[in-house]
Amino acid sequence: MREDRYTLRQLNLLVRDAVEMQLPDEYWVEAELSECRERSGHCYMELIEKDATTNTPVARASAKCWRQTWQMVLPYFKRTTGQPLRAGLKVLLRVYAQFHEAYGFSWIVTDIDPTYTLGDMARKRQEIIRQLKEAGVFDLQRELSIPLFAKRIAIISAAGAAGYGDFCRQLEDNDYGFRFTITLFPAIMQGEQVEPSVIHALNQIYERIHDFDVVCILRGGGATADLSGFDTLALAENVAQFPLPIITGIGHERDESILDMVANTRVKTPTAAAALLIDNLHHVLNRIEQAEDTLAHYINERLRSQQQRISQLATLIPTLALHTISEGHHRIEMLASRPPIAIERQLTEQKHRLERISLQLQSFDPQLLLSRGYSITLKDGCAVRDPKQLKPGDELETRVEKGTFRTIVK
Amino acid sequence: MKEEQKYEEALTQLENIVRKMEAGEFDIDELAVQLKTAQRLIKFCKDKLSKTEEELRKIQDEQE
Repeated sequence: MREDRYTLRQLNLLVRDAVEMQLPDEYWVEAELSECRERSGHCYMELIEKDATTNTPVARASAKCWRQTWQMVLPYFKRTTGQPLRAGLKVLLRVYAQFHEAYGFSWIVTDIDPTYTLGDMARKRQEIIRQLKEAGVFDLQRELSIPLFAKRIAIISAAGAAGYGDFCRQLEDNDYGFRFTITLFPAIMQGEQVEPSVIHALNQIYERIHDFDVVCILRGGGATADLSGFDTLALAENVAQFPLPIITGIGHERDESILDMVANTRVKTPTAAAALLIDNLHHVLNRIEQAEDTLAHYINERLRSQQQRISQLATLIPTLALHTISEGHHRIEMLASRPPIAIERQLTEQKHRLERISLQLQSFDPQLLLSRGYSITLKDGCAVRDPKQLKPGDELETRVEKGTFRTIVK
Repeated sequence: MKEEQKYEEALTQLENIVRKMEAGEFDIDELAVQLKTAQRLIKFCKDKLSKTEEELRKIQDEQE
């Protein structure tokens, strides 16, 4: 026997033969995924079975789903369950056994039945959702909106819970100095008492509804199973029909509950709920500040354009007025230049008139007749017109052009 | 007491005198009197314009 030695490979090959001989078929197996990783298109899983009462593992095995199969089963699984395969899920797998001398034992997955995973709990949740939708209350909360100035916050949480403490700190230490009023309505946040306790808190808030803007239901993260208390029809109905918007922050990403689905807004954690409320006020503050800026800008623009207009007019008006003045000057100058001309003309006319008269007068001058050879004979200074006037011996004076001479009548 | 004369009235009066002068409507006796009146009106209008101009420039300077 001592000589009958094997190399590890030889021995493993024996195991491989035995496995292939003894487990030639494919089997459906129920198991929980404790690990699930995708690598190079293949999926590597760790399967586990826990004892129902002690919760300790009673079986464990690796499983692989080769790329070709994985590419087909994963989309189907996602479509049916609404989520990818992940640790914590219960699955029903079709497998065959494989023992590889180098890599050891694995179940090779050839199919996955997603309906199994949906499970009792999920089916129950779907049923609650269906009832809420049928009653027409499923979307009621989302028809509400978080008020612009949401500052008075009603909290439903376990007093002294870490999540509640984080929430309060975050709200109080906000960067903008917003002041929130936080009122706690303590409730049991896990186990069987969640439903009546949270409903009671909601009723207390309802009695003072005008004191609050928004309600937050808060709880630190925890195991998925702990959330089952939030998946009840009565609680969902109460939340869905509550007249104030409700923000839930009761778990982490993978822990979505029906409560989250019917709430106005769901966030992952209490701190995220605080951040949301701060953001809401900050957004409003921004809007106000923007409006302020816009208003100031608009007013400045108006003032500037009016000032510009006025100064344009201001420069224009004196220019126009001065223009009128200079026109006035011009007009006066024109008028002033006219009287001398008119007077000159009138005086010249009068001179001409006088000249004409004097010419007319000249024609009566006796000197003119004398120069033509006529003579005038005067007796005692009177012109002699009839020889009968004369007697011999009369002395006469005769005027000719160049002088006078005296004669005696014979 | 002499009333404060208005520019437009003075100008109209002046224009009338000039028009009549040019039409030879005044006789020689009147001519000198009318010329004196015309010159008084011209001076009045010029003064009025200069005064207004000065006022306008002052207002303009105050604005700038």
